[in-house]
Amino acid sequence: MHQARIVGVGMTNFGVHDRPLPELFSSAAFDAMDDAGVDAPAIESFYLGNAMGGQTERDTHLAPTLASHIGLAGIPCQRYEDACATSSNAFKHAVRAVEAGQHDIVLVGGVERCTPTTGLDTPEMTSVFASASHRQYEQPTGLSFPGVFGLLTTRHMHEYGTTEEDLAAVAVKNHRHGTYNPRAQFGSETTVEEVLESPIVASPFHLFDCCPFSDGAAAVVVANEEAAADLSSESVAVSGVGHATDTIPLADKADFTATQSARDAADQAYEQAGVGPDDVDVVELHDCFTGAEVLAIEALGFFEDGEGGPAAANGETALGGRIPVNPSGGLKAKGHPIGATGVAQLVELTEHLRGEAGERQVEGARRGLAHNLGGDAGTTIVSILEVDA
Amino acid sequence: MSDTLPDPLTHAEWTAALRDGRLLGQRCGACGNETAAPKAACNECGSREIETVELPTEGTVYTETTIAVAPAAFEGGYRVAVIDLGTEGNARVTARLESDADIGDAVAFSDVLEVDEPVPVFG
Repeated sequence: MHQARIVGVGMTNFGVHDRPLPELFSSAAFDAMDDAGVDAPAIESFYLGNAMGGQTERDTHLAPTLASHIGLAGIPCQRYEDACATSSNAFKHAVRAVEAGQHDIVLVGGVERCTPTTGLDTPEMTSVFASASHRQYEQPTGLSFPGVFGLLTTRHMHEYGTTEEDLAAVAVKNHRHGTYNPRAQFGSETTVEEVLESPIVASPFHLFDCCPFSDGAAAVVVANEEAAADLSSESVAVSGVGHATDTIPLADKADFTATQSARDAADQAYEQAGVGPDDVDVVELHDCFTGAEVLAIEALGFFEDGEGGPAAANGETALGGRIPVNPSGGLKAKGHPIGATGVAQLVELTEHLRGEAGERQVEGARRGLAHNLGGDAGTTIVSILEVDA
Repeated sequence: MSDTLPDPLTHAEWTAALRDGRLLGQRCGACGNETAAPKAACNECGSREIETVELPTEGTVYTETTIAVAPAAFEGGYRVAVIDLGTEGNARVTARLESDADIGDAVAFSDVLEVDEPVPVFG
């Protein structure tokens, strides 16, 4: 089996972009191709993540459209959709194709626009996001996506004593990290008081517990070890990718606080990489809501079940702490353009492993883990990147 | 209560039962798992040997959230909860919660709300 490596990365700023999806994606794709040092003819396949273009912008069959815009027409192109885990799923399939020897060099990316530039206001976009919950047994109740994570987090608070202050500390930490990230949507700090005083979106989440609506794009070039060796760019190994799902609707999940798909995906990724949580230096995880970060750090094995609540307040997950989580600012501060989020996590980790992350650099990072969750933890993909593998 | 239960249980029959004040679900003949959101096979073991069952209309709040910023077609300021029906097969249902009940409090199926299609209301 071949060793898949990330040989080039690129992403746009996350925030508001008033450009059509092909133009927005081209910026990230060209940055990744230029970073890798590969031209269009070297790319053998294109894996795209876009979750909602059909609903938000009446824009479908996007993979060949985007490929045509960036000079890749003719090669096999495919779009993946798994709610917020969309572009990690595209990445997984690209990695497997490279590992299997099907392709030597591939482009993987994601693009999405979720802000009012799409023409959709907050209730309409809330409704589009809610389409990732069960159509018959959840959507008619008026459940929103903050509400989905509200249900999971409220149960965690009940079982373990996690507090609203614990949740707010996650937002404070990720906002602070975001101030070091020039690509982040939010570049200012916040406080526990400010989070708790912001209006409720869906309990227990205040506005500042929630990630924003964002536009953006991200891309990576994946190559096998032979192609990577022929390039002058600094590459990192993809040493493990795990992918698992859990039951939908939410009510049928065995355990609301386990986020079982994350545990199963992490087990697979750790086993493939031959490592465990103690071997990870830097983490980018899916903090769509502050409670999601608490659930994730437990599911990934960085904290015992029930001990994830105080982690941010205690500084354990901050830059300089025991296990730095979301140095980019995470979805919370960096932003969350759905289809671009998973690949953007890999862009961030690659920069840390190369020592190129600037003010937010995790010093000496040799191994990074990305956790990208889709829907109500219905899908989770965990990827491990390494310098030395 | 009807003597005959629909088999297989479809969404249309599930909603029709709701309007009659009844909550239908399924029990897996192979593993005993139960659901209040009918499926074509058991999500625990994959068996297609599933029978329609009449579920209890009383339970306890397993978890809840108050939605302030609502999807289009809804007006914020309502509660959504997952109700644990206390059955051996662990059936739970997602419902509107029209009371101030907290996790662990006893609630009962009291009404049907129709914005898009019927959902059970517990209180």
